[in-house]
Amino acid sequence: MSFYNKEEFLSFEVIKAGLFTTIQDRGRFSFTHLGVTNSGVMDEYASLSAHKLLGNDLDTNILEITFSNFELLANADTNICITGASCEFFINDISQNTWQVHKIHKGDSIKIGKLIDGQRVYLAVKHGFNIKKEFGSNSTTIKESLGGISGIQIKNGNILPYTKNNDEILNRWHIKHIPKYEKELTLRVLLSYQEDSFSDYEKEKFFNSTYTVTPDFNRMACKLKGEPITSSLDGIISEAISFGSIQIPNDGQPIILLKERQTIGGYPKIGTVLSIDCFKLSQIKIGGTIKFEEISIETAQKKLKEFYLTFK
Amino acid sequence: MEIKLASVDSIIIYFGDVISKENSNQVKSAYKVLKDLNSPYLIEIIPSYNSILVTYDIFKYTFEDIQVYLNDLLKNIQIENKNDSEIITVDVYYGEEVGLDLQRVATKANISIQEVIEIHSAKLYDVYAIGFLPGFAYMASVNEKIITPRLSTPRKKIPKGSVAIADNQTAIYPQNSPGGWNILGKTTFELFDKSLEALSPITIESKIKFNPISKDEFLQQGGVLEF
Repeated sequence: MSFYNKEEFLSFEVIKAGLFTTIQDRGRFSFTHLGVTNSGVMDEYASLSAHKLLGNDLDTNILEITFSNFELLANADTNICITGASCEFFINDISQNTWQVHKIHKGDSIKIGKLIDGQRVYLAVKHGFNIKKEFGSNSTTIKESLGGISGIQIKNGNILPYTKNNDEILNRWHIKHIPKYEKELTLRVLLSYQEDSFSDYEKEKFFNSTYTVTPDFNRMACKLKGEPITSSLDGIISEAISFGSIQIPNDGQPIILLKERQTIGGYPKIGTVLSIDCFKLSQIKIGGTIKFEEISIETAQKKLKEFYLTFK
Repeated sequence: MEIKLASVDSIIIYFGDVISKENSNQVKSAYKVLKDLNSPYLIEIIPSYNSILVTYDIFKYTFEDIQVYLNDLLKNIQIENKNDSEIITVDVYYGEEVGLDLQRVATKANISIQEVIEIHSAKLYDVYAIGFLPGFAYMASVNEKIITPRLSTPRKKIPKGSVAIADNQTAIYPQNSPGGWNILGKTTFELFDKSLEALSPITIESKIKFNPISKDEFLQQGGVLEF
């Protein structure tokens, strides 16, 4: 850990890392032609909200916390903001609100207890963590050993350096901007790629069925279970896969590809989930239910522009 | 050439519907045109066997705009049958202690292991796609004499540097990984060295030649025999 020594006094020390906490940012772009995935935060709404409230640049890094019992010790003053899944959140053992900026003083303890609704909590610090980027990003992709600290998840005892900050930032989100993480979701889908290989009957089945989120759900993809869908194609020539693509493998059960998807793949795809809805999906619990609804490209682009303009 | 919707901010351009050298050459020519634009509005350009996916800035182009733009740009491209690309030579130790499937491939082809090695290393391979893992290049076409399907049960771990074949394709595993390809040998060639922050030396535009080396040479290059 000698490489961190000089930073030690302007940092968080990780007391409890939780089972799976990673450093992310908006992702690693322009290396996909070499097989490097985009990675990045699963829920951009929650993470961009935290950065907006702190006045951070939107590509600032952030902690993505997926299990309870996470704890940090602050070694310098700063401001933080916690968003995403509703959770128990304590500063020096006093319960605090999420979706709000909190001033942190040297010696403060920050704890995330139980996650209540949702799957991913985001913890942002003013100006982000001072960590070297790899291939233009801090996003951690474990299978590629890239990003974060040494390309793996956060461990107990890690040091997360930041620049000391004493700004008075009183921002918080109005309750109407704080999402409720439902157990039922309707995802808007653009018909795309091999949609022609699915008959009208199959498409109708797809849009009229209810699917269940299986435990096969991680940063790469979300596998669903329900009415099987059949393509007239067995497989396709491997091609690049975009964020939100819905692959239909031979068992007919849809797989929605998320931030750490492989860059290319050979299963037919019926459509692509609008990215804003992938962010919502990333917060659903296993056993939650999914329905699909078609959206036009014009509306989809309008919605996505509106989404990003909220954070400008 | 056909342009299709891929996602809210991506389109995919298809060049034919089979894996062929001709379609691949079209991909490579179009890829070069797109890449050389150095456009900040084209966020990802991902070539594969017969397609290129382009992720674009929706604040710059609508879906209609990007189709018109790319169509105008690519409709008259010259297909270069590139014979001037740089040949990358990859030293391979084809020994049975690292080439776990040499015997299997030889038996299936009804030839000797030595012949498998000669046949595999004789060709100059084109890169058709990169993916699966960072730096994993799908190269083809393997001489039909040694075409071998994937293992019916994939191995849990294929060591980094393994040179392998599956059907008519060949590849080098850039890192330890599960996999079902038939392993013929091993190299110390680095496909994705993140410590150097160097880009993968192999791109879709490369041509690859495998060069058989002895066990001693392999060990001198820092090669490891263990699995």
